[in-house]
Amino acid sequence: MIRFTLNGRATMVDVDDDTPLLWVIRDEIGLTGTKFGCGIGMCGACTVHVGGRATRSCITAAGSVEGAEVTTIEGLDPHGAHPVQTAWKDLQVPQCGYCQSGQIMQAVALLKDFPHPSDEEIDTVMTGNLCRCMTYVRIRAAIRKAAEANHG
Amino acid sequence: MARRMNPGAPVLTRRGFLVASVGAGVGASLAFGFPRGAAAAMDPAVPGGMPPAETEPLFEPTLWFVIDGEGWVTVNIIRAEMGQHVGTALARILADELGADWGKVRILHVDTDPKWGLMVTGGSWSVWQSFPLFSRAGAAGRVALIEQGAKLLGVDPSACRVENGTVFAGGASIAFGEIARRGALDRRFSAEEIEALPIKPASERRLVGRPVQALDIPPKTDGTARYGIDAKVPGMVYARPKIPPTRNGAKVNGVDDSAAKAVKGYVGSLVLDDPSGTVPGWVMVIAQSYPAAIRAADLVRVDWTPGPTSAVSEKDIQDHAAQLIAQPDAGAVLDTGGGDTAAAFKAAQSTLEQTYTTATVLHFQLEPVNALAFEKDGVFEIHTGNQWQSLILPTLAKALGRPETGIVLRTYLIGGGFGRRLNGDYAVPAALAAKALGKPVKMVLTREDDARFDSPRSPSVQRLRMAFGAGGEVTAMEHDAAAGWPSQVMTPSLMPKGANGVLYDPFSISGADHWYSVGAQKVRAISNDLANTAFRPGWLRSVGPGWTNWALESFMDEAAHHAKEDPVAFRLKLLDAKGRNAGSAPNAVGGALRQAEVVRRAAARAGWGVPLPAGTALGLATSFGQERDMPTWIACVARVRVDRASGVVRAEKLTLVADAGTVVDPDGARAQVEGAALWGLSLALHEGTVFERGQVKDTNLNSYMPLRISDVPQMDISFVDSIEVPVGLGEPATTVVGPAIGNAIFNAIGARLRHIPITPDAVRSAIG
Amino acid sequence: MLKRTLIGLMSLLVIGGAGFAALAWRPAIAPITPPAASSFAPDLIARGEVLAGAGYCATCHTAPGGAPYAGGYAMQTGFGTIYSTNITPDPQTGIGAWSEDAFRRAMHEGVARDGSHLFPAFPYDHFTRLTDADVAALYAYMMTRTPVRAAPHENGLPFPLNLRPLQAGWKLLFFRPGRYVEQPERGAAWNRGAYLAEGISHCGACHTPRNALGAEERGNAFAGAPIDHWVAPPLTKANPSPVPWSQDELAAYLRRGVSRFHGVAAGPMSPVVHDGLARLPDADIAALGVYFADVGQAAARAAEAQPAIERALAVNAHGPGLPYDPIARLYAAACASCHFNGGGQVNALRPDLALNSAVSLADPTNLIRVMLYGVTAREGAPGIVMPGFAPALSDADIARIAAYLRASRTSHPAWPDLEKTVAAVRAQGRGQE
Repeated sequence: MIRFTLNGRATMVDVDDDTPLLWVIRDEIGLTGTKFGCGIGMCGACTVHVGGRATRSCITAAGSVEGAEVTTIEGLDPHGAHPVQTAWKDLQVPQCGYCQSGQIMQAVALLKDFPHPSDEEIDTVMTGNLCRCMTYVRIRAAIRKAAEANHG
Repeated sequence: MARRMNPGAPVLTRRGFLVASVGAGVGASLAFGFPRGAAAAMDPAVPGGMPPAETEPLFEPTLWFVIDGEGWVTVNIIRAEMGQHVGTALARILADELGADWGKVRILHVDTDPKWGLMVTGGSWSVWQSFPLFSRAGAAGRVALIEQGAKLLGVDPSACRVENGTVFAGGASIAFGEIARRGALDRRFSAEEIEALPIKPASERRLVGRPVQALDIPPKTDGTARYGIDAKVPGMVYARPKIPPTRNGAKVNGVDDSAAKAVKGYVGSLVLDDPSGTVPGWVMVIAQSYPAAIRAADLVRVDWTPGPTSAVSEKDIQDHAAQLIAQPDAGAVLDTGGGDTAAAFKAAQSTLEQTYTTATVLHFQLEPVNALAFEKDGVFEIHTGNQWQSLILPTLAKALGRPETGIVLRTYLIGGGFGRRLNGDYAVPAALAAKALGKPVKMVLTREDDARFDSPRSPSVQRLRMAFGAGGEVTAMEHDAAAGWPSQVMTPSLMPKGANGVLYDPFSISGADHWYSVGAQKVRAISNDLANTAFRPGWLRSVGPGWTNWALESFMDEAAHHAKEDPVAFRLKLLDAKGRNAGSAPNAVGGALRQAEVVRRAAARAGWGVPLPAGTALGLATSFGQERDMPTWIACVARVRVDRASGVVRAEKLTLVADAGTVVDPDGARAQVEGAALWGLSLALHEGTVFERGQVKDTNLNSYMPLRISDVPQMDISFVDSIEVPVGLGEPATTVVGPAIGNAIFNAIGARLRHIPITPDAVRSAIG
Repeated sequence: MLKRTLIGLMSLLVIGGAGFAALAWRPAIAPITPPAASSFAPDLIARGEVLAGAGYCATCHTAPGGAPYAGGYAMQTGFGTIYSTNITPDPQTGIGAWSEDAFRRAMHEGVARDGSHLFPAFPYDHFTRLTDADVAALYAYMMTRTPVRAAPHENGLPFPLNLRPLQAGWKLLFFRPGRYVEQPERGAAWNRGAYLAEGISHCGACHTPRNALGAEERGNAFAGAPIDHWVAPPLTKANPSPVPWSQDELAAYLRRGVSRFHGVAAGPMSPVVHDGLARLPDADIAALGVYFADVGQAAARAAEAQPAIERALAVNAHGPGLPYDPIARLYAAACASCHFNGGGQVNALRPDLALNSAVSLADPTNLIRVMLYGVTAREGAPGIVMPGFAPALSDADIARIAAYLRASRTSHPAWPDLEKTVAAVRAQGRGQE
């Protein structure tokens, strides 16, 4: 039995320790906003927050989050109105949308560490998140916009 | 993608295809009163995709939309949503003509049903094909609402106008919802009436061409958007396949699952018996959870007899293509206006010949292919994202041994199409497994499985030749292209005949039949049968022009240098809109002059001719998009910096100018061009694999390295203002970036690259 | 942490003669009825609790999922598996029948109540430095735990290594009993740090190399050593970290498990920080910092810190790396999102791999282990996770990234045979936490 906090709620799951957190979230708990892309931690579609830090859930063993606080895209904001989500909507970032939960989770984490990110900081931190629709131009712009919204 | 509706019918032009679609749509549906029936259809604007309930009574003047008692207008969309916000764009067309209040418009992506006619999303066709159809559907609705509204208001219909979901007559008005509640809902239109429907002039449009937030976007930012991979039903088991060593012809001799039995949740392994021949040699590993299926599949050992291509390499495929090109009689010759190229080459003052190649490319759509299948109430349901439902339904019918009417494809958002999901082969194994087990089966491919089961873009070889007269003028041109042909493998009955009577795949040659006036012209399409056997060639974003234009536009640059002319001036001279390049209504008004205009604008915006630092240069390429009869005129100037020592090419800026006729959704159009252009860049510099021992070599991101955010150059995208017929935008920008980069590299360092992707090694060896 | 401890039973080979039997024999100390918990002063018990933490008693004396201090924890040694004993006050299976004298003799001399020699997997060679008062506090703490009936697990040592009397020979060779001796000229903090480090916290048990007979090499204190498939880095000036371990860095690391300029406490060091030293007051942590800063001669290296940080930030400034170097791209896609630092600052929660100890060590084991198996929320920086790439990347890819980091982030020579090392570490498995 593995215990952790998911989107603020105490959660207990009966899976093997080495079950990837991604499938625990998607199939055991049923939150499907977190996506399966490459399975090797290199596309970022499965990004969640563990202890507030962007984490690739597809290679994170469920047992390793015992006691930790996990946040998924569904738990980012009760109304889907986190400044990053708002910027994403305003600038119409998503195309197919499949990678965007991960992009948004990574961007939120980016802005925690880099409240006024430079182009290089955006590019380097976001490079782990692949977007096959190539919405990159808008991802950059939306991150800048969200940074401005955060700081007025 | 289909050129004609069914085998036996005459080959349709795109125009004819449109009329046929109208026939199956508006024409039939205007006879009013179809049952709703879209039980599990998907509304991408709401969490989970579950369509909101409608309030009776429903007013349904055509098949394409319904107005409910509260005035909500729901537009039925038969196209797949895969990032192009197609439902929003189409609904805007209809709602504009209808006079609807955009705030009360919903979209519904429908499940398969014969009443929808052909269901396919690809080729950048959706807006182009649907614009006239949805305009008329909207106009028909407007006429019906005015008639009923006038009756209810007690005024003459001629005194009424429609705006914002309301019929106005002087000071009086009545809302759509009230008309639906109180009106007589039985209006019918004759064929003549449909033709005569009044369509608004562009100046009266209120929605088309104006900014809008795409309806599908909000759920894509909060995790509630629902894709095929998210589908679930009670009692389902999970499946991961064992992908055989060859795509075709593999046979299972035995399965050893003794090691897999130790995996908690492992259920068993199923050798598929596939009457449709879609997935030969497949074994499905079944488990109670997907991670268990992944783990178990790793431990299941299958003994296969592979198909005959188990040793085939990329070089084998390309060598075979080159041999075919060397055979003068191989392949189909397109009708390009004729002319004796052989004589022209004989008489030429000088000639130029070059060969260009492209590597195998994976779709690598981020959502791996998947499908949930089960039988319920006598109907086989397949829950999956798909771009061409009408193509896979007959195959599913054959596989399951039941009529198409007993199968329904439920609609989901697509986590990346790019052409992969035109080929619905992945629905078959899930259906077969569900049938065999008698319970719902959810099959998901891992990334590696997905890559090995991809329908990749075939590698290609192209030979181009040009003849020049005494004054350096172009007198003739030949273009031979050899590659695996998706249409031959998947839709052979839909292939048209060339001028020499040989069937060909239009999607593996389009782009070569260009709008330059080059005198005698010969375009030859050759099917690489080795490629067709070794794998299932696929359509990949921008399809034929994605690689034909690499050769064509690289060659036009070489030709310009051969003729000692500026590459822009050389092109403009040939884009003279004479003869067959003059263009015609409705789709290609202006012809090559419009292509010349985007070339001129792109060159000017990018600063063509302005000196740049050493190692940095501009290169230009242009295209007419996907097909001659639906031209999207586009030009790109790439600025690259080349490091001679390392061979590293850095794209610094892309300047793109597009003329796509009327732009329905300006921001969406820009988004499509951004994405398409970056695909082009990825294909030019980053993406590609090779066949090795019958399989693609790269199966995941540790070695397949598509473009990422840090590779994105500066982008300057602009559109030509136009009220011409709206044409596609999802792909054309992809076709111009590669050759623009190749041409820029030449201008920067004097070395010519003739293979994509361009690697630093290739650049270094080209420098010599 | 003495899990890896080699047992010096080989001393059998070098000890001979008739006198040996006498040496090997120690008298039993009479059993007692377990004293009532109320017979111990609460503040004494509290002090014992802190010391028990600082000595990680629970880490070795608790089996995974088992009752605290009831023993049964398996320690793999080069000589066989031995199991920790039950040190709850159960009279039959624990130490309930031990008087304080018996307990003190065990701590100071490595002899059980019945007179038999304890294996040096029990670090009495360090506990011998403890004051009688601290031993009394530990005794008070242990004797007031809940007694658990749990018979000791049979050790998996082959004959003759399982003969306890032979331990006497090992002691004769290597054991130097005696209390800690203050060095007044060093100051109070230094002495406190040294007392803790050399005594109850037995740091050398992991960080000091051992000889062929499993004894710590006295002339080589804190020079670094392999431990439980990890490497305990040198704590001396031989420590290759680009930024020297200053007093403040040490204190931050030992307090929170994270050093901005070195990395996180992973592997066997994780419970040391999070389960053990966590009980010590800040002043004791600071004292350990003072002591080890001196051991590592940090003051003499202080000038190296700023240039090293600047070099690291300069590497970061390359951003995602060369656009077409496949290894740089692999790193950029798999690692840089979390490990990149910018804005002229190193963020402790973005472990900077140009500064991280694991990249600079002569042995790549720690780096490979973390890449393969990650760091759980209970280890390292608490509450956050590094996922393990074992199921995701091949040995070759892991080796490529490690080699790339070594070459691009340090001036040390390349690690030889990396891919083989990765395969070996993978074969060892994640191991117990």
